[in-house]
Amino acid sequence: MRRNNAARRTILLAAALALAAAGCSSSSSSSGATGSTPAAGSSSSAGAATVDTSSCGSKPGVKATGTPIPLGAIATNQPGTSFTDIPNMAKAYFDCVNANGGINGHPIKLYIATEQTNPAQIAADAKQLVQTDKVVGIVGNTSIIECSINSSYWQKLGFYVIDSGIAPECYSTPNSAAVNMGPRYSSDGAVQYALAQHVSKVVFDQANVPGTGYIAAGPNALAKAANVPIVDLTENVPITDANSVAIKEVNDAGPNGAVILNFTPPQALVILQAAQKLGLEDRVKLWGCSTPCNTDFLAQSLGPKWNGKLFVNAELAPPDDTNTTSMNLYKAILKQYGSSVQGGIGSFSQMGFTEAEIAVHALQSITGPYTVQSVNAAFKAVKDFNTGMLCQLWTYGDYPLHIPNNSDWTVTPKDGKMTTAQGCTLISKVDPQIAQYRSVAGTAAYAPAGS
Amino acid sequence: MPPWSNFEPFIVSGLALGGVYALSGVGLVVLYRATGVLYLAFGAVGALGALIAWSLTTEAGAPGWAGWLVCIAVAGVVTLGYGLLFGPALARRDPLIKAVATIGLTLILYGVMDLLWTTSGGQARSLSLPTDNGGFTVAQIQVTWTQVIALAAGVVLTVGTGAFLRFTKLGTAMRAMANDRDITATLGVPVRKVEAAAWLGCGILGGIAGLLLADLVALDATTLTFLVISSLAAVLIARLRSITVTFVAAIVIGLLHDLLTPIASLTSYRDMTPFVIAAIGLLVLSRHQVMTQSREEA
Repeated sequence: MRRNNAARRTILLAAALALAAAGCSSSSSSSGATGSTPAAGSSSSAGAATVDTSSCGSKPGVKATGTPIPLGAIATNQPGTSFTDIPNMAKAYFDCVNANGGINGHPIKLYIATEQTNPAQIAADAKQLVQTDKVVGIVGNTSIIECSINSSYWQKLGFYVIDSGIAPECYSTPNSAAVNMGPRYSSDGAVQYALAQHVSKVVFDQANVPGTGYIAAGPNALAKAANVPIVDLTENVPITDANSVAIKEVNDAGPNGAVILNFTPPQALVILQAAQKLGLEDRVKLWGCSTPCNTDFLAQSLGPKWNGKLFVNAELAPPDDTNTTSMNLYKAILKQYGSSVQGGIGSFSQMGFTEAEIAVHALQSITGPYTVQSVNAAFKAVKDFNTGMLCQLWTYGDYPLHIPNNSDWTVTPKDGKMTTAQGCTLISKVDPQIAQYRSVAGTAAYAPAGS
Repeated sequence: MPPWSNFEPFIVSGLALGGVYALSGVGLVVLYRATGVLYLAFGAVGALGALIAWSLTTEAGAPGWAGWLVCIAVAGVVTLGYGLLFGPALARRDPLIKAVATIGLTLILYGVMDLLWTTSGGQARSLSLPTDNGGFTVAQIQVTWTQVIALAAGVVLTVGTGAFLRFTKLGTAMRAMANDRDITATLGVPVRKVEAAAWLGCGILGGIAGLLLADLVALDATTLTFLVISSLAAVLIARLRSITVTFVAAIVIGLLHDLLTPIASLTSYRDMTPFVIAAIGLLVLSRHQVMTQSREEA
């Protein structure tokens, strides 16, 4: 009996230790399931594209055999959070270019380093790319904290990074220009749409991860300027009490209010489904979401009750509603070269495509050797480039901060797909960061239709 | 302090959350009482079963009932397989080692799920049961039959397994084996068969819990795998002994957790509820134990 009690005490100790470890597990999950993610993917298949991919290069059908141009990318890849689809799609685009003439006969070789939100590892990844792989440019970075860690390193070496941003430094430093808007400006877009529908109150709820104050500052500025009260909430993720979260949001918003979510698709889905099961979806005027919710996975899982009830910010052209040259080329390249892109058609792979086409456009302008100096000068010189994926023409430029994508679509679920609810709309300069960017870079022109 | 009417909806949601914790917690205690193993992969096997059920019903077009059965079967088979493969080797090891070994299984299953049901493209999945479509309204919010079933399942599980362990021959053999495997074997009990039955039963419970939790909480490998950690609070309060205390503790934790939600100054700390209650519970219990021992010594 004594032995049995000792065993029980030991196991209780083990359980207590596991319970203590839960804090660690929970917090690592939190960073994993960050609300600060870029846009999410869509589930549409790539089967519809019929475009000839050879148009991606300057010499169709001619394989590039020259000295490779080494480029690098760093992406978060950890359980629950993987952004590798973005550099993988950039690589697919480069593979297409390499099979069709390359850059003046030179193929592009993309080195992709992955990290697990470990600052030391992220710094080491950057050094490995530069010192071991001898990359001459950085294209396709997408990481929860990479911009915060490596920003000064890239500045010191003179690299001008083309990335998909998450951390504030991706948008507020001279050496990073993103193709996406990131969580703050995407949330701005969602709140802006709600305010335009004359809601009487806004509840802004996001994942409890580092940087929530920075993200919430934008929506708060917009609501304040419109004299609409706003309530800021944060939730620990993964969410296990979605019912109470949904009840709290709806109670705080009131019948003429809006609930705006900034979560990854799985977490947003948990809240929205809880609201639906509790019969709360009609208790507020509208529900909104930043770009991560722009996924057909979400639209399919939610069902028709959310048609015209949920409005999602979309930083890139809605794939289902867009039939343009660039969109069709993207779908065709994804089908032919994108076997490693797990999410298929969607914002993640759209970002990778966009970053790669900007990089190729810049590299094609270089006449001499491909060095760190020449490549990064070419990146920085990109001006008014029509990506075919963004509302506006894209510019890098020599600015102290970069928010080149600052106009968005709004989409809403309709029978299992996300459809356009509102066309391109500028993010309000009431957000002081947007105002600061436009004061130095101006307001970029809209991209011509059908490109 | 908000008015009482603000708390009413949270009583309903708190009971549902308590039911969620109870499902996992009771399953953990059942297996511990039967095998002496704290099975920390309980959530992971349920998650694996639920994700396979999702693939079958959503991607392969199988009928819902087939998916549910496969979910339960997968969880049962994986748990039984683990028990048959590692149970004998670990039988004479320290309980701590047995528990840590199940963390190994947890991490393997978690890795497999992350690989096969990736979220790298922003995929979001859900598993809905037909019982979500019906229900009744309490305190202005809808209560689905799934929530009622989850709570009832906790009660049935508590009463049923309690009775099974106490009154059946197999249950008695399981309890004897958990106390001392060698002595039980010398009494002629087929320990391998009894052990296998315990593992299979626990796996089936894990599958049922996984199915319900995938609907009630989220169909997400991370969430379901680590949900068991919050349930451990109830298990600790019950000191791995009482299924009834586990159930009641889980309900109390769920209720308190959700009742803190409308209180602005405390809402950010509500996720600490299971751990705070477990800490208080352990302190009170150990104080009670010390006092009892002191009295006995005196």
